[in-house]
Amino acid sequence: MPVKKTEAKPKVNKTGLSDDTLLGLYTNLVKTRMTDERLRKLFRQGRYAGTYFSAVGQEATTVGPTYGLFKEDIIAPSHREIGAAITKGIPLEQIFAQVYARSNSPDKGKSHPCHYGSRELGVIHPSSTVASQSIIGTGCAMAFQIQKKNNVVLGFFGEGGTSRGGWHEALNFAGIHKLPIVYICQNNLWAESVPSTRQSAVEKFSDRAKAYGFPGITIDGNDVALVHKTAGEAIERARNGEGPTLIECLTYRWYGHSEIDPADYRRQEEIDEWMKKDPIARAEAQLLKSGKLTTHKRESLVAEIEQEIEEAIKVCETMKYVEPEEAYNDVYSTAFPVRRDEY
Amino acid sequence: MKKTTFIEAITEALAEEMERDEKVFLIGEDIGLYGGVFKATKGLMDRFGSDRVIDSPISEVYIAGGSIGAAMVGMKPVPEIQFADFITPSMDQLIQQGSKLRYRTGGQWTCPMTVRVCCGGDVGGGLYHSQINEQWFFSQPGLIVIMPSTPYDAKGLLKSAIRGDDPVIYFEHKRLYRWIKEDLPQEDFTVPIGKAAIRKEGSDLTIVSYGLMYHRSMQAAEALEKEGISAEVIDMRTLRPWDREMIFESVKKTSRVLLVQEGSKTGGVMAEISASITEEVFDYLDAPVTRVCGLDVPAIPFAPPMEHFFLPNAEKIAGSARKVMEY
Repeated sequence: MPVKKTEAKPKVNKTGLSDDTLLGLYTNLVKTRMTDERLRKLFRQGRYAGTYFSAVGQEATTVGPTYGLFKEDIIAPSHREIGAAITKGIPLEQIFAQVYARSNSPDKGKSHPCHYGSRELGVIHPSSTVASQSIIGTGCAMAFQIQKKNNVVLGFFGEGGTSRGGWHEALNFAGIHKLPIVYICQNNLWAESVPSTRQSAVEKFSDRAKAYGFPGITIDGNDVALVHKTAGEAIERARNGEGPTLIECLTYRWYGHSEIDPADYRRQEEIDEWMKKDPIARAEAQLLKSGKLTTHKRESLVAEIEQEIEEAIKVCETMKYVEPEEAYNDVYSTAFPVRRDEY
Repeated sequence: MKKTTFIEAITEALAEEMERDEKVFLIGEDIGLYGGVFKATKGLMDRFGSDRVIDSPISEVYIAGGSIGAAMVGMKPVPEIQFADFITPSMDQLIQQGSKLRYRTGGQWTCPMTVRVCCGGDVGGGLYHSQINEQWFFSQPGLIVIMPSTPYDAKGLLKSAIRGDDPVIYFEHKRLYRWIKEDLPQEDFTVPIGKAAIRKEGSDLTIVSYGLMYHRSMQAAEALEKEGISAEVIDMRTLRPWDREMIFESVKKTSRVLLVQEGSKTGGVMAEISASITEEVFDYLDAPVTRVCGLDVPAIPFAPPMEHFFLPNAEKIAGSARKVMEY
């Protein structure tokens, strides 16, 4: 499927994007933030099991690159990429269903609250082994190259993921074969409780790309327009057979690693400083200034999302859990049923 | 009909499946230009091109993980792990991703992939080129584990694995590559996954094994026959899911069973078979379920006398069989 190109030259604002594009990005940012904050609250209210990994503060790093991808493009997310899942088109009801693990859950309640995925929409369900998605995603890109397809893969991970050996193996291979993949490193300065200075001695995590023979760039990850443009250029290069790019997005998670982490290893000044760089407030200011967004439009957008969220919660909370015997399903293809012991 | 060696059967299966289905591709170390360290992929790069026969860097994590990713978007990867001794880095991908993909995504994504693993001792390979390591995968639900012992099965099971829709770990015992030859049919054939084979019928005891140890068990059975002991020899062929029915039926018939595996005893494949026999057909047994295994030491040592000391052989198997008969 080719990129839709608008006939008339769109009006470009200060960010270098059309107002429509910026509004599209903003809408996904708001939807992600509202969903995320609500899921945090629901966890604290004890409305679902496990824990929740909030991405509040980092939304621009996932929404920006994903916005505008083709349906057949693949995203290979980690556990903090709710923004990518929503932007790639996963309906909120499926997001909530994944968290609630009821019978409408896309994974039939098997995996984990934050492992949103959809084969139909090209979103690989994340797993909890850090940076695995980069390795598997690179394999998808290898397949696209063999199949001579025009599609690309976005591999998402945190700066901590770049310390894993398998991540290195994947990027090394992608460089050799100029695979159609863009690696998005969300450097939020903390890998759970370990600061980025204890993760690597390189000044910038994007410097690692030098070792693989492709471009690496470090950008302000809380500037959604910049993230979208930078990723868009890299995606274009990848589609044209010019190989991968490593984009390091500097950002910050406002809350703990998960909801059970008070994140008291961080200084309050650091948190305050980063909250001032809220990606949503920045996009909003730009749109209000250009007149593309008004307070009224903003309110109706929020009300619309609020309603979608309420409906999704209602559906999920009235849904039954799957039968426990579902545990036996989807181990193998139908050729190999699992033995059932009786006790 | 020409005699086909075990390794030629594998090369033929790969070539025929690549011819049959353009989704099939190979990736591994030294498999392209060099044709594989044992020449299992000889000539395939010339025939199918470097897009479908990929010489990978020394990256076992990627060979496995990249193959899983490719399988997810419509390919049928057949990655090669050059030696089972080097498979450990791949395990993160094979165990955490490959085996769980269908399960953890509610059946949305699948992993039709066949990982060829060259394994096994009795070749003077030393500590790091002799390991077998099948038990790590045998214990993982979500994986299919195969270890053929004849050229016919090597070809037929490899084809079944490639045509299937599940992640398969396919072990090739390197001692068999050029030792075992067989007439193979000209026409296309497959061997079903999950079915064992009775190679020799017998009435006094059942010997269960697979891979190289199947051949050692046959040698023992032939010696025992001359002493008047009639051993039934079962070649498991597929380790997971294993053919419970055939093994149980044989034990019910003979009432005595000897289980033979090349790898270390503790936690090995035969520990599971043994436990299942005692759970399911205990009432039929006239003697304790007995195992002949490799030593419980970290790997097969290099010096030839130690290597032979480590490995089960026909004498050890026959000796144990006599004890089972005397019980």
